[in-house]
Amino acid sequence: MKSRYLWLVAGMLSISQVQANELESLFKGLLKKKLAPPAQEQPVNPAQPAAAAEKPADQLLKALMGGNVSLEEEVRIGQQIAGNLLGAAPLVRDDGLQRYVNRVGRWVSLQTERPDLAWHFGVIESDDLNAFAAPGGYIFLTKGLYRKLNNEAELAGVLGHEIGHVLRKHHLKLLQKSQGIAALGGILGRKLKNENEVLQNLIGNGAEVVARGLDKDAEYEADRIGVVLSARAGYDAYALPAVLAEIGHVAKTDKSVSLLFKTHPHPEERLGQLSEAVGEKLDALPEGQSGAGRFYRLR
Amino acid sequence: MTQLPLINFTLIGVISAGCLCFSAMSQAMGTPPQKTARTVAESNANAVMLKADVLRATPNAESAELSRIEKGARVRLLVSQGGWSQITVINKTGWVRVLSVSSEARDAVDLSDLGALGRKPQGRVVAVAGTRGLDEENLKAASYSEAEIALLHGYLMGRAEAEQFAESAGLRARDMPYLATPGQ
Repeated sequence: MKSRYLWLVAGMLSISQVQANELESLFKGLLKKKLAPPAQEQPVNPAQPAAAAEKPADQLLKALMGGNVSLEEEVRIGQQIAGNLLGAAPLVRDDGLQRYVNRVGRWVSLQTERPDLAWHFGVIESDDLNAFAAPGGYIFLTKGLYRKLNNEAELAGVLGHEIGHVLRKHHLKLLQKSQGIAALGGILGRKLKNENEVLQNLIGNGAEVVARGLDKDAEYEADRIGVVLSARAGYDAYALPAVLAEIGHVAKTDKSVSLLFKTHPHPEERLGQLSEAVGEKLDALPEGQSGAGRFYRLR
Repeated sequence: MTQLPLINFTLIGVISAGCLCFSAMSQAMGTPPQKTARTVAESNANAVMLKADVLRATPNAESAELSRIEKGARVRLLVSQGGWSQITVINKTGWVRVLSVSSEARDAVDLSDLGALGRKPQGRVVAVAGTRGLDEENLKAASYSEAEIALLHGYLMGRAEAEQFAESAGLRARDMPYLATPGQ
């Protein structure tokens, strides 16, 4: 009801060519209201009917402004970001590796509240140490980070952290907050009709959104989720902390960690936060698997 | 000094094994020269306490309390098993929670890395060639790759297949609630 009203207002404003800054403050206020309660997890239903074909750009914008992004729209946004990221760093051409990472990642994803999402995992060509998530279940880690891992449990922990970003819709919220308003201003001004144009306008330049840091709390939350998902999947729950410790040993001046350290709190801070969160809560948990014997070694 | 060899990583086709060794060497050299400044007792320390914790006789929360260790204390990490790490501090050896202590980068580790790099010159060089960096600039400039997305989607794993994998690996799903934000 409210979003209907919002769109009526938006339509009127665009016709009367109101100043962009007035528009911005109006929507900022509306957005704040809408974003205040955390977006409710929608029931996952891949068979959800596609949104009506007419005016897809309008629908997408409406959904974003209202904070009610459908599963289909979430996946569409994620695919655009993932495709851009892969444009910068393609998949490592190793079928065995990619299948292995999808097997482990998919098993970890089954321990979440979104087990039926089409989760995609990929190792990308880069010697940087980093991992990325995009909305809708797109998860990547660099070959450089993969090389640092010692066993399957560590892989599960890293994937679990990224899965956490998707579950809590961290990047989607980031887009809604920062780019949504700017995108709307641009769209009303330039009258973008094409859905892809709207999408790209929303996302910004290329895959830059993955280089934009989330807030620290989002990273700490994803770390906690990574630990829990590893534990749920039957792995050593302390494997993700082991990876963080290892990354913490890389010199801060090393170029391979410059983007990671720019967009994440330092591993030592992350370990400290995890330590506080875990406390005694894992004491009763039987030791999990490291999966070292199954770990796929890069050629 | 540490920047120079890393630039080499972005050059395609001109990277030699020598460059990689050079890179690793300068990385090792780039570690802070803390070791020389340490006292004899501290030279054994290889880890730091991330939070205050109780040193216990055995890796068990119920076991006898040997002492209390402050946050920031430098200790010697001996071994980690499950949720516990065995450490020596001053003249006591006991166990603390694994997440209470963080190992530090050691010179020895850097040197062994150097050796490892030296042992696999060719494979590493081939893998590095053709690699693109992932800084803000090239992420911004990236354009959508239809072909890569299609390839990625081709690896999609079904639920049943993942469950089958877990079963054959002996991985059993366990119940565990999400962890709350500390202090809440």
